[in-house]
Amino acid sequence: MAELVEIIGITHNPYLPGMIAGPDPEPGICQAEADYARMRQKMADARPDVLVVIASDHLNQWFMDNMPPFLIGKAPRTHGPAPQEVRTFRLTPYEADVDIEVAKGLLRESSRFGVDFAFSDEFFIDHAFTVPLGFVRPEMDIPIVPIFTNVMAPPIPPADRFYQVGQAIRRMIEVLPSGRRIGILSSGHLAVEVGGPKSSSYSADVEFDERMMKLIAAGDAETVVKEATWERMLQAGNVTPGFSNYVLLMGLAHGRAPDAVGLHFPKKTAAVPYMAWDLTQGDAR
Amino acid sequence: MTRYQVDKVLRQVINDDTALEAFQRDAAAFLEGRDLSDEERKGLIDIDYPALYKLGAHPFILSGFTMRVWPADRRGLQAEYQERIAPHGYPDFET
Repeated sequence: MAELVEIIGITHNPYLPGMIAGPDPEPGICQAEADYARMRQKMADARPDVLVVIASDHLNQWFMDNMPPFLIGKAPRTHGPAPQEVRTFRLTPYEADVDIEVAKGLLRESSRFGVDFAFSDEFFIDHAFTVPLGFVRPEMDIPIVPIFTNVMAPPIPPADRFYQVGQAIRRMIEVLPSGRRIGILSSGHLAVEVGGPKSSSYSADVEFDERMMKLIAAGDAETVVKEATWERMLQAGNVTPGFSNYVLLMGLAHGRAPDAVGLHFPKKTAAVPYMAWDLTQGDAR
Repeated sequence: MTRYQVDKVLRQVINDDTALEAFQRDAAAFLEGRDLSDEERKGLIDIDYPALYKLGAHPFILSGFTMRVWPADRRGLQAEYQERIAPHGYPDFET
């Protein structure tokens, strides 16, 4: 049986790696670097054999001509980010093998647990995947299984559906026949606006960020699901629906409060959250 | 006319250097044959991002498109962009 060993949620802010690497980063950026170094160590300590990476393509490949709500990638190898993201954000490339056996296993089990995943045998991973992977596993030495979610093209699945899909993925992992140790890495974000009236250089809605992280820290999944409506997320910032991936993580974690959680507000970019659930063998938490 | 057809142009120009060059060379020719309203077509040719934003172009790719094709100095464009779309609030961008 496969074993879920760690669940981590961070951000995929494409400016963050450059800000961390830049000259004289401000204290908020230094804190983000420290937080994400801690997440990297947590995942390393969990000793995963494969990383299931849950994130959302930014209309780079999945588009409104054929938009899957939830998709599992099963090509033998993948890479990213998208060329225009390398150009715009000067991001470091990331390459990884894909664990086909786990990917196919998840697909085969998914309908039994109420989710019909789409799949693709040809894809790349954009910055939503490569930025968190760069923070948490820069070595590029562990195979991944990418799971894409649609948070960009409305109508997106509602928060309670993301929660259900998280619960389903947990059960899918638990019935996999392989003895793999599986780590979950997901990226989402809090209140962010891109191409809208609000500035993109700070949190678009501090109240939303603080409220949601407080609820996550308390393990109050019910209230998170109730409050994370499309309308409220859009009000917080036009790309805020990326928060839905954190709701999925809460479902994966059975709604339990994270073992580590934090939120910081650097001066010149969106809020930097993190959340981690440490799971051990025999722990049904 | 559909928002989808506008979004399709925006994304193509962002992702494809050949499409970008064709658009910059002759936007009208690039858009010929596409199912666009006169308003959408003019908005794209003129890079009238406030008009396209108001029509419900996807804000994420509209800003990416504008930054990519803007023919003049881009310094200050982001601030100007925010200011000029602000009066339109948050139009529905569902296709």
